[in-house]
Amino acid sequence: MLPSSEHTIGPFFPQTFFREGDNDLRRITQAATPSTRGETITIHGVVLKADGVACVNMVLEAWQADAAGRFNHEADPEAYLADPNFLGWGRAWTDAQGRYAFTTLLPGGYVEGNQRRAPHINLSIMGAGLMRIGRTTLFFPQGDNTADPVFALVPEALQGRLVAQPDGPGRYRFDIILHGGAETPFFQD
Amino acid sequence: MAERFDPWPEGIQPNVPIAGYPNTFSHTPSAPLIQRPATRTEWAAPARLSQKLLCGDDNLAVIAPGRMAQGQLIHISGRVLDEDGRGVPHAVVELWQANAGGRYRHPIDTRDAPLDPDFIGNGRVLTDAAGRYGFFTIRPGAYPVPVPETWWRPPHVHFSVLGPASLSRLVTQMYFPGDPLNDLDRILQSVPDAAARARLVAAMVPPVEVGLGWLAYRFDIGLRGRASTPELP
Repeated sequence: MLPSSEHTIGPFFPQTFFREGDNDLRRITQAATPSTRGETITIHGVVLKADGVACVNMVLEAWQADAAGRFNHEADPEAYLADPNFLGWGRAWTDAQGRYAFTTLLPGGYVEGNQRRAPHINLSIMGAGLMRIGRTTLFFPQGDNTADPVFALVPEALQGRLVAQPDGPGRYRFDIILHGGAETPFFQD
Repeated sequence: MAERFDPWPEGIQPNVPIAGYPNTFSHTPSAPLIQRPATRTEWAAPARLSQKLLCGDDNLAVIAPGRMAQGQLIHISGRVLDEDGRGVPHAVVELWQANAGGRYRHPIDTRDAPLDPDFIGNGRVLTDAAGRYGFFTIRPGAYPVPVPETWWRPPHVHFSVLGPASLSRLVTQMYFPGDPLNDLDRILQSVPDAAARARLVAAMVPPVEVGLGWLAYRFDIGLRGRASTPELP
């Protein structure tokens, strides 16, 4: 079957779908003890549309490798070594000021083929007015991102928009600008 | 399972921005999307996500014993399939919709239409080993889009599917066959290819096959991804 067309998630994604802990990537279940195999960090920011207006009720999903750069998935040849208590996935939504937050572990980088992925978090953003899932990637300010095969695709002048900014101990800020001005680069897979 | 991801075929993805849908102008990125090579992060997806997103809530029509939602009782079922037509097992399928009067139980839906105390309007299930899913619900109502050149959303059901790869993550909507609003819906009509639009319209199951209880609709959902090599017979 050919893939179904994407459509907007709309403004009415049920708030009852969200439960406490959904935005904590360290927990494999709501009640699970968060994985401690790594450095706990908070990622937070705002989602803005044209003219810098805050976007309410946007749904964000975060996905990343564990602290050692592994996935508990058959796509990873070292899946058997992945942190079994780390989910690596979370969901958040923006409040009336357009703010979101995730709690996670600082991801590790990994080698794929002859290339090295720098530590990163893939972010998907869905909401009214977005007919397709907005897919972007957050990188970290420490370390060298320039050899990362995804980072390297972004025009140099825009690369900084994909780098989260330090914002206190264990905190990083990553604003997502959907349209206009300092628009965030988005990807197509 | 799926191991190869081809580019989106032409005509399937909606054309944006959409005239008459102002939010698509203010929210759609203006720069072209950057084609990203798939690495492990894009191939992989969370294991056992149904432990995090609890599944099994497949009856929107009955909120509690003896408390049934207002509206036409329907059953929606189908399969989640990959591009080779193989069922996708253990995919998380989320569904949400307006009530029979065309209103969502959501704080930002403040339209002057009745709320049904016996209808919440969302459910979540896991596909079985063959990729099948199903929900009991009621037929949603249409509702107007508040713009100067008014158009109405036809009755539709929202779907969110989390499958075996990040690349196959899908958010879409299902429409009902024969509704005259379908041809006027700016969201459905933003999909250029007629066959792709038709795939978003459910098929009614002949009532003789279903019986007295409810009307039934079949809606198969296609996810990106196929086997990298042909399967052995």
